[in-house]
Amino acid sequence: MFNPSFPPWLWIPCPKYHLSSSHKVEGPEYEANHYDFHIVYSPSYRVPVLYFRSYYSDGQPLSLSEIEKDLPGYSAELLLESKWTFITQEEHPYLNRPWYKLHPCGTRDWMKLLLSDTYTSSNKNFIEQYLVSWFSVVGQVVGLKTSLEMLNIVG
Amino acid sequence: MAAESPTSVRKVVVHLRATGDAPILKQSKFKIAGTDKFAKVIEFLRRQLHRETLFVYVNSAFSPNPDELVVDLYNNFGFDGKLVVNYACSMAWG
Repeated sequence: MFNPSFPPWLWIPCPKYHLSSSHKVEGPEYEANHYDFHIVYSPSYRVPVLYFRSYYSDGQPLSLSEIEKDLPGYSAELLLESKWTFITQEEHPYLNRPWYKLHPCGTRDWMKLLLSDTYTSSNKNFIEQYLVSWFSVVGQVVGLKTSLEMLNIVG
Repeated sequence: MAAESPTSVRKVVVHLRATGDAPILKQSKFKIAGTDKFAKVIEFLRRQLHRETLFVYVNSAFSPNPDELVVDLYNNFGFDGKLVVNYACSMAWG
Protein backbone atom coordinates (compact mmCIF):
# COMPACT_ATOMS: atom_id res chain seq x y z
CA MET A 1 0.00 0.00 0.00
CA PHE A 2 1.19 3.48 -0.84
CA ASN A 3 1.55 5.61 2.25
CA PRO A 4 1.79 9.35 1.48
CA SER A 5 3.32 10.03 4.88
CA PHE A 6 6.47 8.18 3.82
CA PRO A 7 9.37 10.41 2.77
CA PRO A 8 9.77 10.99 -0.99
CA TRP A 9 11.96 8.82 -3.21
CA LEU A 10 15.57 9.78 -3.27
CA TRP A 11 18.81 8.52 -4.76
CA ILE A 12 21.31 7.35 -2.21
CA PRO A 13 24.82 7.79 -3.60
CA CYS A 14 26.53 5.44 -1.14
CA PRO A 15 26.97 2.06 -2.89
CA LYS A 16 26.32 0.19 0.36
CA TYR A 17 22.64 1.07 0.30
CA HIS A 18 19.87 0.46 -2.16
CA LEU A 19 16.10 0.69 -2.20
CA SER A 20 14.53 -2.70 -1.86
CA SER A 21 11.30 -4.47 -1.22
CA SER A 22 10.01 -8.00 -1.36
CA HIS A 23 6.70 -9.70 -1.75
CA LYS A 24 5.35 -13.20 -2.03
CA VAL A 25 3.52 -14.88 -4.87
CA GLU A 26 1.30 -17.82 -4.03
CA GLY A 27 1.94 -20.43 -6.69
CA PRO A 28 0.46 -23.88 -7.25
CA GLU A 29 0.36 -26.22 -4.25
CA TYR A 30 0.34 -23.09 -2.10
CA GLU A 31 4.08 -22.96 -2.14
CA ALA A 32 5.09 -19.33 -1.56
CA ASN A 33 7.58 -17.90 -4.02
CA HIS A 34 9.63 -15.08 -2.57
CA TYR A 35 10.76 -12.13 -4.63
CA ASP A 36 13.33 -9.48 -3.77
CA PHE A 37 13.41 -6.33 -5.85
CA HIS A 38 16.18 -3.75 -6.00
CA ILE A 39 16.23 -0.51 -7.93
CA VAL A 40 19.80 0.27 -8.94
CA TYR A 41 21.00 3.22 -10.98
CA SER A 42 22.92 2.24 -14.09
CA PRO A 43 25.75 4.72 -14.73
CA SER A 44 26.24 3.43 -18.28
CA TYR A 45 22.58 3.74 -19.37
CA ARG A 46 21.92 6.59 -16.92
CA VAL A 47 18.56 5.17 -15.92
CA PRO A 48 17.20 3.16 -12.98
CA VAL A 49 17.21 -0.61 -13.44
CA LEU A 50 14.97 -3.15 -11.71
CA TYR A 51 16.89 -6.14 -10.40
CA PHE A 52 15.14 -9.11 -8.83
CA ARG A 53 15.70 -12.61 -7.57
CA SER A 54 13.23 -15.23 -6.50
CA TYR A 55 13.39 -18.29 -4.34
CA TYR A 56 11.24 -20.93 -2.71
CA SER A 57 10.67 -20.98 1.04
CA ASP A 58 13.64 -23.35 1.40
CA GLY A 59 15.90 -20.80 -0.29
CA GLN A 60 16.24 -22.67 -3.59
CA PRO A 61 16.17 -20.20 -6.50
CA LEU A 62 13.42 -20.35 -9.12
CA SER A 63 14.35 -20.98 -12.73
CA LEU A 64 13.43 -18.34 -15.30
CA SER A 65 10.65 -20.59 -16.64
CA GLU A 66 9.19 -20.82 -13.14
CA ILE A 67 9.42 -17.03 -12.76
CA GLU A 68 7.62 -16.57 -16.08
CA LYS A 69 4.63 -18.47 -14.66
CA ASP A 70 4.40 -15.83 -11.91
CA LEU A 71 4.52 -12.87 -14.30
CA PRO A 72 1.18 -11.22 -15.05
CA GLY A 73 0.42 -12.60 -18.52
CA TYR A 74 -1.04 -9.63 -20.31
CA SER A 75 1.11 -6.68 -19.32
CA ALA A 76 4.30 -8.69 -19.17
CA GLU A 77 3.64 -10.06 -22.64
CA LEU A 78 2.96 -6.57 -23.98
CA LEU A 79 6.20 -5.16 -22.65
CA LEU A 80 8.51 -8.12 -23.09
CA GLU A 81 7.45 -9.16 -26.59
CA SER A 82 7.60 -5.60 -27.84
CA LYS A 83 11.20 -5.38 -26.57
CA TRP A 84 10.39 -2.29 -24.54
CA THR A 85 12.29 -4.26 -21.98
CA PHE A 86 13.37 -7.85 -21.49
CA ILE A 87 14.73 -10.05 -18.73
CA THR A 88 18.38 -10.99 -18.54
CA GLN A 89 20.45 -12.55 -15.80
CA GLU A 90 23.48 -10.65 -14.67
CA GLU A 91 25.64 -10.04 -11.70
CA HIS A 92 24.05 -7.69 -9.18
CA PRO A 93 26.35 -4.64 -9.23
CA TYR A 94 26.65 -4.47 -5.45
CA LEU A 95 25.94 -7.99 -4.23
CA ASN A 96 28.06 -9.69 -6.91
CA ARG A 97 25.59 -12.54 -7.28
CA PRO A 98 23.47 -13.49 -10.28
CA TRP A 99 20.18 -11.57 -10.27
CA TYR A 100 17.63 -11.05 -12.98
CA LYS A 101 17.13 -7.59 -14.36
CA LEU A 102 14.85 -5.80 -16.79
CA HIS A 103 17.20 -4.74 -19.52
CA PRO A 104 17.42 -0.91 -19.64
CA CYS A 105 18.37 -0.43 -23.30
CA GLY A 106 14.88 0.88 -24.17
CA THR A 107 14.26 2.77 -20.93
CA ARG A 108 15.42 6.19 -22.12
CA ASP A 109 13.20 5.97 -25.17
CA TRP A 110 9.97 5.11 -23.41
CA MET A 111 10.77 7.40 -20.49
CA LYS A 112 10.99 10.30 -22.97
CA LEU A 113 7.32 9.67 -23.73
CA LEU A 114 6.47 9.87 -20.04
CA LEU A 115 8.45 13.00 -19.27
CA SER A 116 5.82 15.56 -20.09
CA ASP A 117 6.52 19.27 -20.36
CA THR A 118 5.00 19.88 -16.96
CA TYR A 119 7.99 18.56 -15.12
CA THR A 120 11.62 18.98 -15.99
CA SER A 121 14.89 18.15 -14.30
CA SER A 122 14.92 21.58 -12.65
CA ASN A 123 11.80 20.64 -10.69
CA LYS A 124 12.64 19.69 -7.12
CA ASN A 125 10.36 16.67 -7.29
CA PHE A 126 11.86 15.47 -10.56
CA ILE A 127 13.45 12.30 -9.20
CA GLU A 128 10.32 11.27 -7.37
CA GLN A 129 8.18 11.93 -10.45
CA TYR A 130 10.64 10.18 -12.73
CA LEU A 131 10.64 7.09 -10.51
CA VAL A 132 6.85 6.94 -10.32
CA SER A 133 6.53 7.20 -14.12
CA TRP A 134 9.29 4.64 -14.57
CA PHE A 135 7.83 2.26 -12.00
CA SER A 136 4.37 2.43 -13.60
CA VAL A 137 5.95 0.59 -16.56
CA VAL A 138 8.51 -1.77 -15.04
CA GLY A 139 6.21 -2.71 -12.15
CA GLN A 140 3.74 -4.09 -14.68
CA VAL A 141 6.28 -6.56 -16.02
CA VAL A 142 6.75 -8.19 -12.62
CA GLY A 143 3.21 -7.69 -11.30
CA LEU A 144 3.84 -4.79 -8.93
CA LYS A 145 0.93 -2.41 -9.22
CA THR A 146 1.43 1.33 -8.82
CA SER A 147 -1.51 2.75 -6.87
CA LEU A 148 -3.59 5.55 -8.40
CA GLU A 149 -2.77 7.61 -5.33
CA MET A 150 0.92 7.33 -6.09
CA LEU A 151 0.34 8.07 -9.78
CA ASN A 152 -1.36 11.32 -8.79
CA ILE A 153 2.14 12.72 -8.24
CA VAL A 154 2.75 12.60 -11.99
CA GLY A 155 -0.71 12.41 -13.56
CA MET B 1 -18.34 5.56 0.01
CA ALA B 2 -20.71 7.37 -2.30
CA ALA B 3 -23.80 5.42 -3.21
CA GLU B 4 -23.99 4.62 -6.89
CA SER B 5 -26.99 3.49 -8.81
CA PRO B 6 -26.24 0.14 -10.45
CA THR B 7 -28.54 0.97 -13.34
CA SER B 8 -26.60 4.01 -14.52
CA VAL B 9 -23.46 2.82 -16.29
CA ARG B 10 -21.32 5.89 -16.53
CA LYS B 11 -19.64 6.45 -19.87
CA VAL B 12 -16.20 7.97 -20.13
CA VAL B 13 -14.92 9.89 -23.16
CA VAL B 14 -11.47 8.63 -24.13
CA HIS B 15 -9.30 10.81 -26.36
CA LEU B 16 -6.67 8.76 -28.21
CA ARG B 17 -3.54 10.68 -29.15
CA ALA B 18 -0.82 9.25 -31.38
CA THR B 19 2.82 9.93 -30.56
CA GLY B 20 5.75 9.88 -32.97
CA ASP B 21 5.10 7.84 -36.10
CA ALA B 22 2.13 5.94 -34.66
CA PRO B 23 -0.83 6.02 -37.09
CA ILE B 24 -3.59 8.50 -36.27
CA LEU B 25 -7.07 7.00 -35.94
CA LYS B 26 -9.94 8.34 -38.04
CA GLN B 27 -11.97 8.60 -34.89
CA SER B 28 -9.83 9.80 -32.02
CA LYS B 29 -12.56 10.13 -29.40
CA PHE B 30 -14.92 7.44 -28.27
CA LYS B 31 -17.09 6.54 -25.32
CA ILE B 32 -16.46 3.54 -23.15
CA ALA B 33 -18.24 2.21 -20.07
CA GLY B 34 -16.50 3.36 -16.90
CA THR B 35 -16.80 -0.15 -15.54
CA ASP B 36 -14.56 -1.48 -18.33
CA LYS B 37 -10.95 -2.17 -17.58
CA PHE B 38 -8.15 -0.20 -19.22
CA ALA B 39 -7.19 -3.45 -20.97
CA LYS B 40 -10.18 -2.87 -23.24
CA VAL B 41 -8.71 0.44 -24.43
CA ILE B 42 -5.39 -1.30 -25.19
CA GLU B 43 -7.18 -4.10 -27.03
CA PHE B 44 -9.17 -1.57 -29.06
CA LEU B 45 -5.95 0.18 -30.12
CA ARG B 46 -4.24 -3.08 -31.00
CA ARG B 47 -7.17 -4.08 -33.19
CA GLN B 48 -7.51 -0.69 -34.83
CA LEU B 49 -3.83 -0.28 -35.57
CA HIS B 50 -3.09 -3.96 -36.27
CA ARG B 51 -0.06 -3.70 -34.05
CA GLU B 52 0.82 -6.10 -31.32
CA THR B 53 3.44 -3.86 -29.81
CA LEU B 54 2.00 -0.66 -28.48
CA PHE B 55 3.04 1.55 -25.63
CA VAL B 56 -0.13 2.99 -24.11
CA TYR B 57 0.03 5.69 -21.46
CA VAL B 58 -2.01 8.46 -19.87
CA ASN B 59 -1.40 12.23 -19.74
CA SER B 60 2.14 11.69 -21.10
CA ALA B 61 3.03 10.67 -17.56
CA PHE B 62 2.51 7.01 -16.73
CA SER B 63 1.37 3.65 -18.03
CA PRO B 64 -1.77 2.40 -16.25
CA ASN B 65 -2.15 -1.19 -15.17
CA PRO B 66 -4.54 -2.96 -17.59
CA ASP B 67 -6.65 -4.02 -14.59
CA GLU B 68 -7.55 -0.44 -13.63
CA LEU B 69 -11.14 0.60 -14.25
CA VAL B 70 -11.58 3.34 -16.83
CA VAL B 71 -13.79 5.33 -14.46
CA ASP B 72 -11.09 5.29 -11.75
CA LEU B 73 -8.53 6.59 -14.24
CA TYR B 74 -10.99 9.24 -15.40
CA ASN B 75 -11.77 10.37 -11.86
CA ASN B 76 -8.08 10.70 -11.01
CA PHE B 77 -6.54 11.86 -14.28
CA GLY B 78 -9.32 13.04 -16.57
CA PHE B 79 -9.88 16.69 -17.36
CA ASP B 80 -12.16 18.70 -19.67
CA GLY B 81 -14.57 15.77 -19.48
CA LYS B 82 -12.23 13.25 -21.06
CA LEU B 83 -9.39 10.86 -20.39
CA VAL B 84 -6.36 11.47 -22.62
CA VAL B 85 -4.71 8.22 -23.69
CA ASN B 86 -1.44 8.44 -25.64
CA TYR B 87 -0.05 5.61 -27.73
CA ALA B 88 3.25 4.97 -29.43
CA CYS B 89 4.47 2.12 -31.59
CA SER B 90 7.60 0.21 -30.83
CA MET B 91 10.61 2.28 -31.74
CA ALA B 92 13.72 0.88 -33.34
CA TRP B 93 16.70 0.74 -31.08
CA GLY B 94 19.67 -1.51 -30.98
